[in-house]
Amino acid sequence: MDFLIVVILIIWLVGTIIRTYRQARFYQIEEYMGGRYLRWVLARRDRWLPTRPAGAWLVGLLLALFISDAPGSFVPGVIGLVASMIAVWPPDEGEVKKGFKPTARAKRLLGAAFISAAALAVAALLVVNRLPDVSDVRLVAVMAAGFTLWLLAPAWLVAGNGLMTPVEAAFRRQFIARAAQVLDEVRPTVIGITGSYGKTSTKTYLAHILNGRYKAYPTPKSYNTLMGVCLAINNDLANDYSVDYFICEMGAYIPGEIQRIAELTKPTISIVVEVGPQHLERFGTLENVARAKYEIIKALPPDGVGVFNWDNPYVREMVERGYPNTRLAVSKEVDPANVPANGPRFIASEIEETLDALSFTVTDAQTGESERFVTPLLGQHNVTNVLLATAVAVQEGMPLRDVARRSRGLQPAESRLARQATPAGITIINDAYSANPVGVVHALRVLSLHRTGRRLLITPGMVELGPMMVSENRKLGEVAAQHATDVILVGAQQTDPVKAGLLAAGFPPERLHVVATLAEAVTWYQNELKAGDTVLFLNDLPDTYSS
Amino acid sequence: MSAKRKTVVGVIFGGRSVEHDVSVVTGQQVMRAFDPERYEVVPVYINRDGRWYTGEPLLELKNFKDEITSYKGVESAILSPSVEHHGLIVNPTAGRFDKSRVVRLDVVFPAIHGTHGEDGTLQGLLELADIPYVGCGVLASAVANDKIMTKIVLSQQGVPIVEGVSFSRAEWQEAPDKVISHIVHELQYPVFIKPATLGSSIGIGRANDETMLRAYIDVATNLDRLVLVESAVTNAVEINCAVMGNGLDIRASVLEQPVSWEEFLTYEEKYLRGGQGMKSAERLIPAPISAELTEQIQQMAVKAFRAVDGRGTARVDFLLKPESGEIYLNELNTLPGSLAFYLWQEEGLSPREVVEQLVQLARDAHAEKRRNTYNYQTNLLEVAAARGLKGVKGAKTRAKNPV
Repeated sequence: MDFLIVVILIIWLVGTIIRTYRQARFYQIEEYMGGRYLRWVLARRDRWLPTRPAGAWLVGLLLALFISDAPGSFVPGVIGLVASMIAVWPPDEGEVKKGFKPTARAKRLLGAAFISAAALAVAALLVVNRLPDVSDVRLVAVMAAGFTLWLLAPAWLVAGNGLMTPVEAAFRRQFIARAAQVLDEVRPTVIGITGSYGKTSTKTYLAHILNGRYKAYPTPKSYNTLMGVCLAINNDLANDYSVDYFICEMGAYIPGEIQRIAELTKPTISIVVEVGPQHLERFGTLENVARAKYEIIKALPPDGVGVFNWDNPYVREMVERGYPNTRLAVSKEVDPANVPANGPRFIASEIEETLDALSFTVTDAQTGESERFVTPLLGQHNVTNVLLATAVAVQEGMPLRDVARRSRGLQPAESRLARQATPAGITIINDAYSANPVGVVHALRVLSLHRTGRRLLITPGMVELGPMMVSENRKLGEVAAQHATDVILVGAQQTDPVKAGLLAAGFPPERLHVVATLAEAVTWYQNELKAGDTVLFLNDLPDTYSS
Repeated sequence: MSAKRKTVVGVIFGGRSVEHDVSVVTGQQVMRAFDPERYEVVPVYINRDGRWYTGEPLLELKNFKDEITSYKGVESAILSPSVEHHGLIVNPTAGRFDKSRVVRLDVVFPAIHGTHGEDGTLQGLLELADIPYVGCGVLASAVANDKIMTKIVLSQQGVPIVEGVSFSRAEWQEAPDKVISHIVHELQYPVFIKPATLGSSIGIGRANDETMLRAYIDVATNLDRLVLVESAVTNAVEINCAVMGNGLDIRASVLEQPVSWEEFLTYEEKYLRGGQGMKSAERLIPAPISAELTEQIQQMAVKAFRAVDGRGTARVDFLLKPESGEIYLNELNTLPGSLAFYLWQEEGLSPREVVEQLVQLARDAHAEKRRNTYNYQTNLLEVAAARGLKGVKGAKTRAKNPV
């Protein structure tokens, strides 16, 4: 019996460790924020209390108690053991879109979580041993302790994180200090980019254009947190003295974060792309978002250069604040023949979009020069991104003509309105990255340029828009109704506003499908679509949002 | 480049060359010309043996009276050809107790005359390192540094040159009489004897007869592997013209006429008279010749500079027969002494403006290079890895994506 008690507890402990490990990736998706993660866990019953384990535990326990008439029998213990095994057997996770990333920090955290879980298990065992060995008291106690241990797996993660906090803080300080030292040695000119969206694309285009004359190193992918930036610096910038420009994407997840990145990197040129409702749930109001973005301008030295998107009212307001002295604004809406005083300097006009090229004329209002840009990009929001990159390149001594020539070779940033064809002849447009209220409209316009067949939109809607989530998603539905011939919504619950918008705009309901997973959507289009048809994937579909 | 931090300019001077001392003077003049508010000068000194050094004491000309490398603060350094260093590795052979470090150079200003500096070798290193550098590229430097090659290229482009005969040290040692008879057959006395690749008039002799000719050839073949003998242009004056620019945008300076043309400029006269380098050598600026001839010479200077694919700057030296108006191109200096500051001064450009313009030209030239494609990915290595080297022979590769 005692032996079985120990084995049962070990089974629960192993199950707990597996469950903790599997939960770790969600904790990562929630950026190691305990509160956010626990809210996510508690949001749905099957996340914190899955049916099979709970059922197996309960049934096993009751069964053991009923059969426990013969004193000293090991039958209840065996039942408990089998029930425990059934309970903790790891379920099939299905498709994992964003797997666990075994970073050093994650490993330390997991280690601490495992140790705290194991310590609790040992403590539980000691307590159980003290209990009177009558009837099934010990069995019940160990089953209860084991189940609790297992159920609290998310708590062990949070506890592990808590335990590691001082250690992590020390590591972080060391890491940041090293990055500062690298920048001090390599001494590149630092260009900061922020914005609710469009910053990764702008960064990619700017790097490509500047590389026509200088050597630019952009932060990879969307590394845009303080730690991500440090990682980029310490991994790639260290010992590379050939870099003239370090283009640093700066994301704002909390107020003060951009300021901290800027204090480290000391940009002398800063670009603000857009202020929009991205991450609004964390900031509350657009004014707060704008305030967080403005940190990148405040961090400039007085002789630094601010580069702004004039077409966004919140960004335009930043230009009007008058800091720093050199402010360059760009616009694709202002009439180049009629530029307001102190208005934008680089203006795009005569924007033409075809299946193969996005073309526009860029006018430098200061010199009167103008050049035709022909880019292989998709989506009109890219005009703003290219204009911002152009402003920096011209400021840094590249003739507008060279910038225009360079822009012919631009490539979309990874998964941002990239287009490819399947062997079956179906065109796939991938905008599976941070769909936002500006981007989606342009992406849908690109979809409607494809006139050779059906135009299918696959989307889970937009997320992290806070209070504007419902209204913006409804708008997405309304716009989609004009451009798509078929729509697949992934996940019934959060796409409800999109559906409402579609139907309100008169989209035929028989052309609208709601599925549970991305895999279903893919199977659907593979069966239904044929050569000449087009699919637009809008927004990535992280596991936290699928049903 | 940002205006926010100072531009770091590495000035390389000295050099394993007979013109080492001249180069130290030029290097000092260049370093002093930069505006300290906007430029940070990193001195890089190559001693006569070809060892590289950097450090504060190298900024002072007076320190060169002593053994400069023994000064505290002078450290050994190398210019790394590996692109990620983009500059110097100071103390490159550091062991357990000391550290080496990288000093990034935004631009390099070679201030070395002649061999191992003005001849394309240093330029080649800078090309490998992918650092913008002042002055002519590898080819122009190499061609202009070789008086024989200069003649070949310029005559091809229709620039008038003095006729000459060239031969190698080996030919001279094997069959001196044959060489002499060839010279006498082709040219008339008096003739000039010049080592092919040395500058600053070093090793140059003027011969009126065979005895002198043989003596000077002996001198010249000791200094260089190739020797040029050319007809002396009698009753001529020397006229020099500096050019500056890249590609289609090249300007010529006012002309100068050195007035001490009796036999030729001796080494001492050219550099030491007055103790301040070229500045105080006796010359007439502008050269007292007609506006027509001036313009003709200026155009010819630009033409010659283009003919050798020059960029940045050069001083082009001509011989002019004033009575007949005949002009011959005598020499192309891609790194003229003092960088012809004194000529640009007449054009209203201070030395500071000259070096700044040259740095800008260097960056423009480097930007032009950036427009070329170097990274061209093919599937050759995949094929080779899969099939082994034999399978690759003659295999057609296809480009994956030109970057």
